[in-house]
Amino acid sequence: MRRSLTGEQAGGLVHARLGRPAQDLLEAVVVLEAWGGVPSESALALDGVVLPPCATPAPAPARALARDDEQREGIVAEGIALLVAIIAVAVWAGPLSRQLGTATLEHALRLALPLTLALQWMLRSRYLGRGGGVRQLAEERVAVLLVSVGVGAAIVAIPDVGPLVALFVLTWVGGAVMARRGWGLAYAALVTGEAVALGADAPAYASLALLGGIVLVACVVAVATARGRVEQAPGRLPRALAAGAIGALLGGLLVGDDSLGWGVHGAFPGLALAPSVIGSLWGGYHLWQFYAAVPNGLRGMPLALASETIRGGPATRVLIGALTRLVGVTTLLSLAVLAAAQWTNGADSIGVFVAFGTATLASLFVSLHESLGYVGWAFVVALASLAVELAITRWVAAPPPGLALSIAGAVGALLALAPLVRQLRSPGRMLATALWIK
Amino acid sequence: MSPPSILLTTEATYPYAVGGVSSWCHLVVGGLPEFAWRVLPIHAGGRRPRQLFDLPPHASLVGRIEVWGEQLPRRRWLRDRLPGGRPSLPAELVRTLIGWRPDHEELLDALVWCRRHPGELRATFRSVDAWRPFVQALREVLGESHPELASSPELDTVDAATLYQQLYWVARTAAAETPRVDLLHATAAGWAAIPTIVDRHLHGTPLLLTEHGVYVREAYLAAARSRGSAAERFLSSRLGRGLSLATYASADVVSPVTSANAHWERKLGVAPERIRVIHNGIEPSGELTPPPRARRVVTVGRIDPLKDVQTMLHVAAEVTRQLPDAQFEYWGPPTRGQEAYAQACEELHRRLGLGDRFRFMGTTSEPLRVMREADVVLMTSISEGLPMAVLEGMAQGRPVVSTGVGGVPEVLHGCGVVVPSGDVARLATGVAMLLRNPGFAERLGRRAYVRVRERYTQRRCLDGYRALLGELTASDAAAAA
Repeated sequence: MRRSLTGEQAGGLVHARLGRPAQDLLEAVVVLEAWGGVPSESALALDGVVLPPCATPAPAPARALARDDEQREGIVAEGIALLVAIIAVAVWAGPLSRQLGTATLEHALRLALPLTLALQWMLRSRYLGRGGGVRQLAEERVAVLLVSVGVGAAIVAIPDVGPLVALFVLTWVGGAVMARRGWGLAYAALVTGEAVALGADAPAYASLALLGGIVLVACVVAVATARGRVEQAPGRLPRALAAGAIGALLGGLLVGDDSLGWGVHGAFPGLALAPSVIGSLWGGYHLWQFYAAVPNGLRGMPLALASETIRGGPATRVLIGALTRLVGVTTLLSLAVLAAAQWTNGADSIGVFVAFGTATLASLFVSLHESLGYVGWAFVVALASLAVELAITRWVAAPPPGLALSIAGAVGALLALAPLVRQLRSPGRMLATALWIK
Repeated sequence: MSPPSILLTTEATYPYAVGGVSSWCHLVVGGLPEFAWRVLPIHAGGRRPRQLFDLPPHASLVGRIEVWGEQLPRRRWLRDRLPGGRPSLPAELVRTLIGWRPDHEELLDALVWCRRHPGELRATFRSVDAWRPFVQALREVLGESHPELASSPELDTVDAATLYQQLYWVARTAAAETPRVDLLHATAAGWAAIPTIVDRHLHGTPLLLTEHGVYVREAYLAAARSRGSAAERFLSSRLGRGLSLATYASADVVSPVTSANAHWERKLGVAPERIRVIHNGIEPSGELTPPPRARRVVTVGRIDPLKDVQTMLHVAAEVTRQLPDAQFEYWGPPTRGQEAYAQACEELHRRLGLGDRFRFMGTTSEPLRVMREADVVLMTSISEGLPMAVLEGMAQGRPVVSTGVGGVPEVLHGCGVVVPSGDVARLATGVAMLLRNPGFAERLGRRAYVRVRERYTQRRCLDGYRALLGELTASDAAAAA
């Protein structure tokens, strides 16, 4: 064994072994002991290993960080399920209105949409938005089953429209699970089949019950047959409950404006919502790059700039990209729907499109706040928006279609945007304090 | 009168993982029923780990500390209402854990604050006011000058954010609730020690540290071997050093399992009178069985970079070149998280054309039987404390060829072959020499067996801990009285 090394020899040995100088004396001792054959006592007793003089080292090379693709898939799946549900509302509305009565359908829709969004947000927060999300549902199947039965029973007990609301919620929430499992096309086929059946005057309750039953069975099979490793634990329950509350408020925002006439104007409100949902789906999908784009964009940024304000940083660029997609797609598709005005029963006010556009904008910002962990502020924004909408609906006599929702959406978007801008301007701080401290 | 209680903190080992430290924990906890053991494991978040060891009746789990997970500490609504908490906390932690000359009192003050304000930690680290002082403190640490330091690497913003997140988990670990006990016993000078350091400072409970490897050495080794950037190596090794220094400063007694570790501990500031070496122990075989004379070389251990399996493969290639009928068996699974290393080993195995002459055998629940079927036991580790695999081989009367790391030279003194780590030629020469001379190998094995019976039995090990734990709990009782 080597027992008597000079500091210079030791430094050379360490450099040769590592292919670089040691960072400090301890590293040199460790290397001498592990790979130099020097007993620890001798290595530690060296007076000093010759370390290289201080010099400015090369900056760390930029390295790409992994993208969180599975979580993005969760968002896309949920978006597809929501979109299919909305188109279903649009297409089913006419036949259901004829069979069940306009008042019943409107009442049911105005309850079912907020409940659906609440449950979808909750499921996303705890299970579906995470790696191996459907598998996690299987691992907590007893609790999920008990909660589902409880929630279902409570919905069924709603006076007059309970069973109808329960069938809507079951179909739409189940769609989110199926889409997350990768069965989005099968779900779309089921919903389309129901539209065909209703168009052919199939009995409303019976056909909806059949659809709900099939979706339920599909969900059970989807959960039971989900495979793959589950690396993450389910999300925090309080966080999931808060997400559910936010979803319910945003759902309330969609149905809180009486002038939209859910169930009254046939396919129209649902059809008018579709462009903004597609826009927010694309925008949201882009926005989900946030978790990878921000650290990737900050790789190589010197520590001296880590707490500085930066215009046009990676986070800002991603948000602007998402907004461009949302606004662009919503505008184009809204114009396309307006061009097909004969479908809209004469209720094709442009204000309705603007209303849904601002509402989805607010929803996008609220969703970003929630995912960054600012759950309290997301809740406040959603609540404030709904309060504004209800106040206008109550106190403004005969407002133009969509006015209340437009103003509420704009208020929500502005309230959400101000703190976001503050965060985005310092991307280093945002990465450390918001993205990575859950 | 209730027995003295001991809080045993573990890190990614007992009772959720198998390995040398877990076996040691199980031996000590099970073999000392005169104490009431409270086991507090620390593990990485995600999935709830499966318990692999059944605790004896006088021991119980008192929760688990999950790091890198999403669960939050219980919030005490009446006390934890201050938004933002203590924005200076991340900066204090970076100075005291990453800095080369840390202020131990400042660190204790910060960690104790974490314990007293668990519900404020998330708000503290998410506070917009915490980041700028943290970055400033980190830049000061990087600018430190000392004869033992080379130039610091250039960190970028992502490195800083990564460290920020690690320090958040240090704070969360310090905040974990612990039961009041008569003695704190940490099984590593790293994350497992954090809650005990706080308890030591808050309640004056004596703290015993048992070191199997040397935490700081292993942190530096892992960093040196990693493919990470210079910044990542710097931060991970410095955090390991900071945690070790804090533990050494707080521990009343440091108990390495071999004198070799004591050199490190003294170098890092532990006074010699606070060091008490207690060797690992093993139950030697009642009757020696003759070796199979099948030219079989056996290794038991995890497939891990610290075991330097790649050097072993080169040794096998050299030995089988000289003795084509020699057989090598490697018993043990890859360490969790080292699957890529295991794949690299299998790739090297293919490239060296070893075929069936070197076989990865997987996990064994009967290491002693495996050792009995060996002619030679081989170990090529680059870092060890007092390895159980060496003791197990000796306890079966088998000659051991090993690298001279940690306590191996002390244990194998006069009854095995010890060569420098990474020295393929000498390792291969040692193995081939023993395989060619079975009579000499048998004599060496018998000497090893006698040495184990004299110095490294379980009874001696347990007697050592019984005396030390009794002494420390008695001193605590006396202080309380």
